[in-house]
Amino acid sequence: MIDIEHLTKRYGATTVVDDVSFRVEEGTVAVVVGTSGAGKSTLLRMINRLVEPSAGRVLIDGKDTMTIPEDELRHRIGYVIQGYGLFPHRTVAQNIATVPRLLGWDRRRIAARVEELLDLFQLDAAEFATKFPHQLSGGQQQRVGVARALAAKPAVLLMDEPFGALDPVIRGKAQDDLRAIQKRLGTTIMLVTHDMNEAFHLGDRIAVMDRARLLQYASPADILTHPAEAFVEELVGTTERPFRLLSLTTVQDALEPGSAEGQPVPLSASLRDALSQLIWLGRQALPVTDSSGAPVGRISVDRILRHGRADP
Amino acid sequence: MRAQAVLLRAAALLLLVAFVARPQLFAFAFEPLTANNASAIYDQGSLLALTLSHLRTVFLATLASSVLAVTLGVFVTRPFGQEFLPLSRSLVNIGQTFPPVAVLAIAVPLVGFGEKPTFIALFLYGLLPIFENTLTGLADVEPQTLEAAKGMGMNARQRLIQVELPLALPVILAGIRLSVIISLGTATIGSTVAAKGLGEVIIAGLQSNNVAFILQGGLVVALLAVLIHGGLAAVERAVARRLGRPAGAATSQPS
Amino acid sequence: MNTISSRTTASGMTSLRSIPSLDRLGSVLALLIGVALLAAPFITYRANRIVAGEGRMLADALPSKPAVAVIAVVLAIAFCAAFVRKPLVRLGAAALGLAAILPAAGWSASFVTPDGNAFARVSPSTGFWLLALAFALLAADALARLRLGPWARLLALAVAAGAVALLLASGAWDDLSLLKEYANRADSFWREARRHLWLALGSMAAACLVGLPLGILGHRIRAMRIAVLQGLTIVQTIPSIALFGILIAPLGFLAAQVPLAAALGIHGIGAAPAFIALFLYSLLPVVANTVTGLDQVPAAVIDAARGMGLSRRQRLVQVELPLAFPVILAGIRIALVQNLGLATIAALIGGGGFGTFVFQGIGQTAIDLVLLGAIPTVALSFAAAIVLDAIIDLTQRGAHDRH
Repeated sequence: MIDIEHLTKRYGATTVVDDVSFRVEEGTVAVVVGTSGAGKSTLLRMINRLVEPSAGRVLIDGKDTMTIPEDELRHRIGYVIQGYGLFPHRTVAQNIATVPRLLGWDRRRIAARVEELLDLFQLDAAEFATKFPHQLSGGQQQRVGVARALAAKPAVLLMDEPFGALDPVIRGKAQDDLRAIQKRLGTTIMLVTHDMNEAFHLGDRIAVMDRARLLQYASPADILTHPAEAFVEELVGTTERPFRLLSLTTVQDALEPGSAEGQPVPLSASLRDALSQLIWLGRQALPVTDSSGAPVGRISVDRILRHGRADP
Repeated sequence: MRAQAVLLRAAALLLLVAFVARPQLFAFAFEPLTANNASAIYDQGSLLALTLSHLRTVFLATLASSVLAVTLGVFVTRPFGQEFLPLSRSLVNIGQTFPPVAVLAIAVPLVGFGEKPTFIALFLYGLLPIFENTLTGLADVEPQTLEAAKGMGMNARQRLIQVELPLALPVILAGIRLSVIISLGTATIGSTVAAKGLGEVIIAGLQSNNVAFILQGGLVVALLAVLIHGGLAAVERAVARRLGRPAGAATSQPS
Repeated sequence: MNTISSRTTASGMTSLRSIPSLDRLGSVLALLIGVALLAAPFITYRANRIVAGEGRMLADALPSKPAVAVIAVVLAIAFCAAFVRKPLVRLGAAALGLAAILPAAGWSASFVTPDGNAFARVSPSTGFWLLALAFALLAADALARLRLGPWARLLALAVAAGAVALLLASGAWDDLSLLKEYANRADSFWREARRHLWLALGSMAAACLVGLPLGILGHRIRAMRIAVLQGLTIVQTIPSIALFGILIAPLGFLAAQVPLAAALGIHGIGAAPAFIALFLYSLLPVVANTVTGLDQVPAAVIDAARGMGLSRRQRLVQVELPLAFPVILAGIRIALVQNLGLATIAALIGGGGFGTFVFQGIGQTAIDLVLLGAIPTVALSFAAAIVLDAIIDLTQRGAHDRH
């Protein structure tokens, strides 16, 4: 859990982060979005004290970060940056082992942890452990970067544009993987991005920043339906709104009893995907099946459209 | 291509060792260059001993300059040494316009003849390329890498030793190579101030008008330079390859 | 709460900053100045050229009033170095310091030498050199922080050269040992100076004439580039004294076999092997930088030129060479500075140049004679580096706006 209280950063006369407060609940993902220069990265870097706050404080699991020595604090916080900053002179295994080694774990424990992480990130240990970063693809580097940040089981993971260096096709997959791993490990994540799709895709909560100020901190659906300021509305994109809203809701929430003809839609699919399929197949309704493949009802265009309205 | 180069180097090394150990075997090749029955092979001392003492001076001087230059390079790139950085940079630029002979010549009146002035000249002049390359190598470390290291909680010393220096190593090595090659040549000139080294052979040749001597001394020094240059460049490439980068293609400078 | 406390610290910092704080580099220099002033002799007096000398502190090297004045100036500069951070002020202080101790050295020579004694020698000693070093470092640091443009750098060089010329012409240094050595050899000094310049500049010009076409060919033909650059790199690793020596053999042979060559002045010993060796050394920087410079011309620019119908020749002359020019100039700079230094070695094989005095001086353990050869060499290399760096900056501005 991260508590940010009245956090402020000034450089001379310019204020880059202005009195920002919010809480990231245990095991959730908070995404900070905003235009470049809005102060997102500075906010993030004040949490692991790469930037010292001018005022305000940060509590991690209730403990003021100022009371913990800088390096010790950073050992407990995972940190992933755009481009990852992998150590080019160290192998994948050595890169992942960085913080455990700084913490003085014994060799066997480190080796076991490295293997566990490589496995978690779908990297074959036999093949990848001894490779150097420059021998990896962009997507693999990204996974090693995240694995390295998670190595010492940090309480919190900070990510600054972690997908910024990936091409769009790999990016989507990497985001899905991150979400899955986060669910599995229950890690608390604070992620900075300028990509709205990424924010809606990953965030349990979204913090919108502009010119050093926090404009709104709310769930994705709230940001869409109740934007606090005109700027939030603009940033979200008015034409995209209904589709974003649909992608936040699953078929389960719009399920109606009955049956329909055609290729079934899974219960866990988003309404956006379901609508896409309905349009493509030229149907008004399709059957819905659960994870075991058993039919549980149907989904219709009408019902979906109702979920995409500002006031359902 | 590569195999050929390795073979060529091995042949050069073999030739060098054979010549230095048993120069008389090669007398036939130098005889046509002599006149008035002068000896074809340097006979005023052991070629082997001169070669070893030449190498020893160069090695010790380079070792000393490497230690000091890397230390200084690290010092001026840390926050507490930052005030010295602009001056150090311009000193490196200015220093390199000093010809090594001038450094050697000025050292003689200060410390007398022999190995000392040569050592001082080699040491001082050798500092420049290593210092410059240490600065470049440290400056070239990706800011992202340093940011990540800091973010993971490495302290300044851990960052320097575990990240910055290993990453700067190929460039620093290139500086050391440059320094060694310059020193090999300057040490030759050192013989004009009575340092024991291969310059003796060349100077003996110049004094007695014996081209055979000049050629012998020159060939041995040149072979040493080419071999050491090649060897050190190979080490750099090996280190750089691990980092996935091409080796710094720094050219050397005669002295 | 937090906000208030941090604000007070911030204002506390600013008030602290208004008190003059110690400059680290400046304090080191001030310390150096202190040592030079208090613990090292300013000049050395010798009864004649050969005997060992005795040191004189600055206070004893001048009449008492001027001595006090010079010491006061030097101390004021030490203070300024330690506490004043403005680069312009520090540059002024360094210039003032040099303007004080340079004439003072000459004056003290006249003061210390007994009247009518032609054998006595006075040379600047450790104290003088340390002071000069400290002021030069102070000036170099100030200049580095000022980041002067090319014209300003050239102007600074001209002012420095003018000041030295003025000092020499005024006769203020005539009683210094260095100038006595010069006076004894004025004719040969200028002869060797001409020889030195001819060796360095002539061989570099020859290297440009050959190196540019070689570089252009190397840029176009890959196989040739590799062969030429590798060959020249090996030449560079041969120590100068050896290459000079080795060239004696074929040139001696040529002179013996071809009377015309001998008539042209080509001998085994002398300037010819030195000239050729310097030429060979300067080829690498010229060729390598020509190749690099041409390689760096953006492909899009060449494509555009081709699209506009420029012929291969026109592209080379109108587009590629002008764009590669700063890089080629950088190669010429390396070659020139290197040649000016290496030309000293020519003296070892009878080729003349400033090296003549250096090696004579080493032979006689006469430091002033060594300096008579070494100082002009260093000054020439230094000036050449400054001038060419400025020219490179100027051409770069024209070629790339991004610089």
